[in-house]
Formats: sequence, C-alpha cells, structure tokens
Amino acid sequence: MATVNITINGQKITAQTGQTILQAARAAGVDIPTLCEHPALSAWGGCRMCLVEVAKQRTLQPACTFPVSEGLEVWTESEKVVKTRKFVLELLFSERNHYCMYCQMSGDCELQDLAYRYQLDHWTYNRTYEPKPVDATRSYFVYEPNRCILCRRCVRACSEIAANHTLGLKFRGANSMIIADHDVPFGESTCVECGTCLQVCPTGALIDRKSAYRYRHKGDVQKVATTCMQCSVGCAVEAVTHDNLVLRVEGAWHQGPSGGLLCVDGRFRPLYDTRGRVTTPMVRRNGKLEPASWDEALGLVAGKLKAGGALGVAASCTTNEALRAFAGLFAKAGGKAGRAEPALPVIPGARPAQVSDVAAADLIVVAGADPLEQNRVVGYFAKRAFDKGARLLLIGDSPNGMAAYAHSVFPEDEADKAAAMAAGAEKPVVIYGVGASEKVCKALSTLKDKALFLGLEPGPNGRGALQAGLAPVTAGTAPVVFLLAGDAPEVRTAELAGWLNGGFNVVLASRQSALTDKADVVLPAPIWAEQNGHVTNLEGKELMVQAAVQMPAGVRSEAEVLQALASLL
Amino acid sequence: MGKIRLATEWLDACAGCHMSILDIDERILTLLEHAEITSSPITDLKHPPADGVDVGILTGAVSNTHQVEAAKEMREHCKILIALGDCAVFGGICTMRNFFPKEEVLRRGYIETESTHNPEGIIPDEGIGILTDRAMAVDEVVPVDVYLPGCPPSADAIWYVITELLAGRKPVLSGEVLKYE
Repeated sequence: MATVNITINGQKITAQTGQTILQAARAAGVDIPTLCEHPALSAWGGCRMCLVEVAKQRTLQPACTFPVSEGLEVWTESEKVVKTRKFVLELLFSERNHYCMYCQMSGDCELQDLAYRYQLDHWTYNRTYEPKPVDATRSYFVYEPNRCILCRRCVRACSEIAANHTLGLKFRGANSMIIADHDVPFGESTCVECGTCLQVCPTGALIDRKSAYRYRHKGDVQKVATTCMQCSVGCAVEAVTHDNLVLRVEGAWHQGPSGGLLCVDGRFRPLYDTRGRVTTPMVRRNGKLEPASWDEALGLVAGKLKAGGALGVAASCTTNEALRAFAGLFAKAGGKAGRAEPALPVIPGARPAQVSDVAAADLIVVAGADPLEQNRVVGYFAKRAFDKGARLLLIGDSPNGMAAYAHSVFPEDEADKAAAMAAGAEKPVVIYGVGASEKVCKALSTLKDKALFLGLEPGPNGRGALQAGLAPVTAGTAPVVFLLAGDAPEVRTAELAGWLNGGFNVVLASRQSALTDKADVVLPAPIWAEQNGHVTNLEGKELMVQAAVQMPAGVRSEAEVLQALASLL
Repeated sequence: MGKIRLATEWLDACAGCHMSILDIDERILTLLEHAEITSSPITDLKHPPADGVDVGILTGAVSNTHQVEAAKEMREHCKILIALGDCAVFGGICTMRNFFPKEEVLRRGYIETESTHNPEGIIPDEGIGILTDRAMAVDEVVPVDVYLPGCPPSADAIWYVITELLAGRKPVLSGEVLKYE
C-alpha cells in the first residue's frame, strides 16, 4: 500500500494513503479527542472536537475527515487548538441541559471526559434553558433530547449498522432535533429497539431504562466478553456487570459474526425475564413440588433412567458442553435423546455463507425463513445489502417481515424461477430456514456453484446439539421424559411443554415456568450470563461463552449435573 | 505575613458544600494557623466585616433578590471570590426550574405539591426574597475569580484550592479535584 510521510506534533510518521489525520494519528499513538466520530461509523466531521492545526491551511481542520498527503504537518494540541476545543466544549455545554450532577451517564460520558481533559471549570456562555420534550414511548430506552449534542451518531448507527433508517433530524442549528420517521413518537415508529443508537450515544441523551442510575462510573463496572445465546447467530457481546449483577449488554465492535450489531432479543430481553429462578432441586411429593437435596433428586432421576426407555429432549438453549453431557447420559442410560427443534432442510451441495456475506450480496433469496423475526441480525445485514442496491427474492407467500423489501415474491411452486433469476447475480446469497420445502431446496440447489447458503438453524445452539449427536426428536411417548430446557426463553414454554407427556417428567431449567409446574423432578440450571463453555453458531463456528456473573448458591452447571447423573447409572 | 481573612456565604444551596468544607477535618486547624474565618452561615457572625476579607467563598446559585444582595455584598468585601460547588459555578441543580416559567414553579411549589395544604392558594411575597426569573450561576451576577465545581467538591479539592491560594498561586483544577458530581 502506498505511504506518505507526515509530521504530527514534530514527530515524523509514515501514514497510509487514504487515511485521515485521525487514523494516522491513532496508528502512531497520538490521541486526538473526538465526539461525533465512532469506530463503527462513517466520519461525520460535525462536532469540531478533533480540530487540528494543519500547516498551510487557513483554519483549523477536522482530523476525522482530513486526508493525509505527502509532507503534511499537523499539530494536535497547540495553544490555538486547545483554546478552540475549550470554546467548542463551552458551546456544547451551554446549548442544552448538561448538568452532570443529576445525569445517569456521569462517570461514563464522553462529553464529560473531554470537559475534564480540557479542564473546563466553568462555562462562559449563558444557557438557553429551552426544554425539549422527552420521549419515553419505547420499551427499553428513553430519548432525553435535553442531553443531546446533535453528534448524529445515533442517526448514522440506525442507517449504517442496523440499516433501519428510523432516525433523522428536523430543524436546523441549535434547534435540531433527532426524530423517528416523519416525527412520530419513537414507540410508534419503525424503530426495532436494537439499541445500537443507545450504545453509541456519547452523552446521556439515550437512557437505558434497566441500568440508569445503577453504577455507570467506568471504575464501578466490569465488562465480560461473551457470546449472545438468544439465537444461532451468536453475536459477540460484552456483559456489563456490577457486584454479580448484569447491568446491560453491549455489542462488541468489529467482533463476532455481526461486528457489534445486536437485536432487541440479545440486548434487552434476557434482562427483563421476570420468572423466578430455580435455585434448588425440587421433587414432587404427594402431588406437590418440594425442595430436595441434590443427592435425593439425582438419585431419583438416575433410578428412573436406569429402568430404560427414557426420552431426552434438549432445547438447544445451552452450551456444547451441556449438550454433549446430555447425549452422553442417554448413551449410557440406553434411552433416546435429541434436540427439540426441527431439522433444517439439507440443500445438496450448498456452500455455507458467513453472516457478513449477506451484507455484501447483490441478490438475496429468502426461503422458508423470516430472518427479521428469527435471526434478526441476519435480517439487518440483508437490509444493509438492500441499501446498496441488492435485490430480494422471497419464496413462499406466507407473511414475512422481509416482504416489504422484496423485489419479487415467488410461490413455492415457482422456486425454480427465483433460482434462475438469482443465477444471473454476481454474489447471490440464499437464506433458508426450517420452512423451506424439499421442492424449494431442490430448486435452490441449482445455485450451488453460484450462491452461498446461510441456513437459519433453529434454537440458539441447534448446531451444537447436532454436533453432540442430538438429532431432532420426533414426537413420541415414553415412561420417562427428561427435558433439558436450560435457559429457554418464556416464548418457548408452550412449545416445550408439549414434550412433557411422560409418566415421569424431569425438567432441568433456569427459571420457574409451566414446564417446571409439569415436572416430577426439577433440577436448577444457570441462566445465559452464568454459563461457561461454547456454542456453535449457524456459520459452524465454535464461540466462547464466558460467565459474567456467578450462579446463585445451589445451582450447578448443566454439564456437571448431567455428568453426576451419568456416574450414578 | 499575617493571617489572611476568609468569609463564606451560602445562597441557593443545600448546605452540602459547607459540609464539604467542614470535611477537611483536622486540616481546619492548619487553616486557622494561616487564616481567620471572619464569618459564615455556620458561625455567629454571618456577614463579611465592613473592612473586608482577602478570600470570599460563595456556595449555591443565585435564585432570589436576597441572594443577589448577598452575592454583591461578598463581592464588594473580598479580594478573591471563589464560586464553590456546581450551583455557584454553573447554577447546578437549582437551574432545573429554569426549564419552566417562574409562575409555574411558584404554583407548583406553594400550591400544588402533594404535601401542601394551601386552599387559598397564597404565594408569599412579603419578607422573603423574590424569585429571580432564573436561577443563575454566581458569575451571572458578580465577577468570580476562582471556580471550584463539584456536587459537592471534595474536601481534598477544597483543601487544594485553599492551599494554592495560600501559596500565592491561582489554582488550576484537573484530575481528581475537577469533578462535576
């Protein structure tokens, strides 16, 4: 790659052609402050915090947009630069309500950090005190425009990362307001509450309802890198914790299948599960579930398994380690075991796609799946591709969240026409799910040399279940049914309850539900944030899951419990 | 050099800043070796002496006519004026009312609050300071020489500012002594 020689603060630096001053400075370890800039977003050049002095330029220039060139001379902390940055900060603080002492963001606010850095001990300019209406119509976070500095990170995140284009701007200058759609309440807008805007907001303008006023200071929280276990995409996340409590979940930028993008299911829903925890084994006595010791409960279950003919059903909501232990238990017990989720159809010869391939596609075929419902991040990646002109061919005419983006919709009988159309594209990607019929799969297999295929594996760790030897089980009755529910979300309760038709039902679950109500023995399980181990995502990658918080006393890891059971056989 | 003279006053304040001044603990003995505290809201003498002091400290925002007078009195009687705490420096939490018209604030405060029994709807205006249109930082009323934000500023930050002044330097705040909360 071509390089240029530049000087930053007197230090000679070799920079890459095409880099901005900011990028070159960062690569050389020179810290230039920014506010509207964000590593996951395009440069905007709006906040003026990164202004630097550039030789032969009449005025200070934004480092985030100014390209490097041969012989460029830059000063990043000259007296003029520092004076200007202070001035910019004073203007920002004066414009709206930036009183830190009652803001939930204090201690983790980029605006505050910069004010400290530039030693702002007072504000010169009068404040306007014009109240802006707060919008609290969304479920998981609140928009507080009085804290907004109009950096437009949220707007860019909504367009560039989530590809949802909900956020925009109305009015001009200091009166500018972030709005949803054509200025409707956020809760009534096209917002999907993926929370990407919330995560990129540098100030307290977007407030997480769950964690507001609960330990925001950077020194008060720990961040644990782990993997989301809400669906089979397996996004890389950071669980932000304090004192064994998950405060919030954030996407890990540039990591994992989604590069930091999360959805409402991963970011918010696990923290809003209000079902009570199972913290002790329970045994049904005289028709009533009562707490029991681990020894008693495991002994009882082992006795039932020894009798043979037991059916093991795993909801794929747990780690590979637990699923392998489950398969091992049933291999030893001589019963039948499999996963609860149906099988993903096989498309002969299909070459697997990565999630990132979806955003790069110029044509996307969706068959037997609704990515925006099942694996939302895959849907958002597809929408990124649509933004760049990719066409969507939708097969099947049942209601689909992607329908509004479809170039053409084909009935299942005409899947071959869709395949023929896709064959003409440069980089087609086929997204298929459990709903794709044999006939559709056969038609799509004609694209095997042209397209990449992304199968939306049902269940967060359906692939891990298959690898453990747990093929989908078909309905059947058994004298003993052992349901490995793990940390299955509440929405799956009814579906999973259908398996509990044995003469004796064992449920291993993290939370109380209709499942535990139907059980004869309940064994406690950790929730997602307490898991250690691995999951295998829909790309077939084994991803690490790391406990962010400790299990409550009395709970044991699923693998440990299942191995203990096996040792009793 | 003789002792410097020091006076404090609180305006629209919660007293937290004065608590933080007291939080310098035994260091107050060292302070008294170098300074005479002539007056403060928490001593018998409330007003700065007629012949003035070297250093005046104001805590709290300026929110009514009495506080405007008190701020002016301190400014006229001190050589160096310190605005101490977020309210004195920025207006602080007192400025929450600035987002509402003054009439609405008075109605809410004197008539509508849940714990208030005021069937005749009287808003007092005799013998008390009349609310200014806005709660203001001290420097919106009189010039300030040294700013020490914080809600409240820590005792260490207060001690830093005092010792810098005693050493004849203008305090420059950064790191742990510059906090807005």
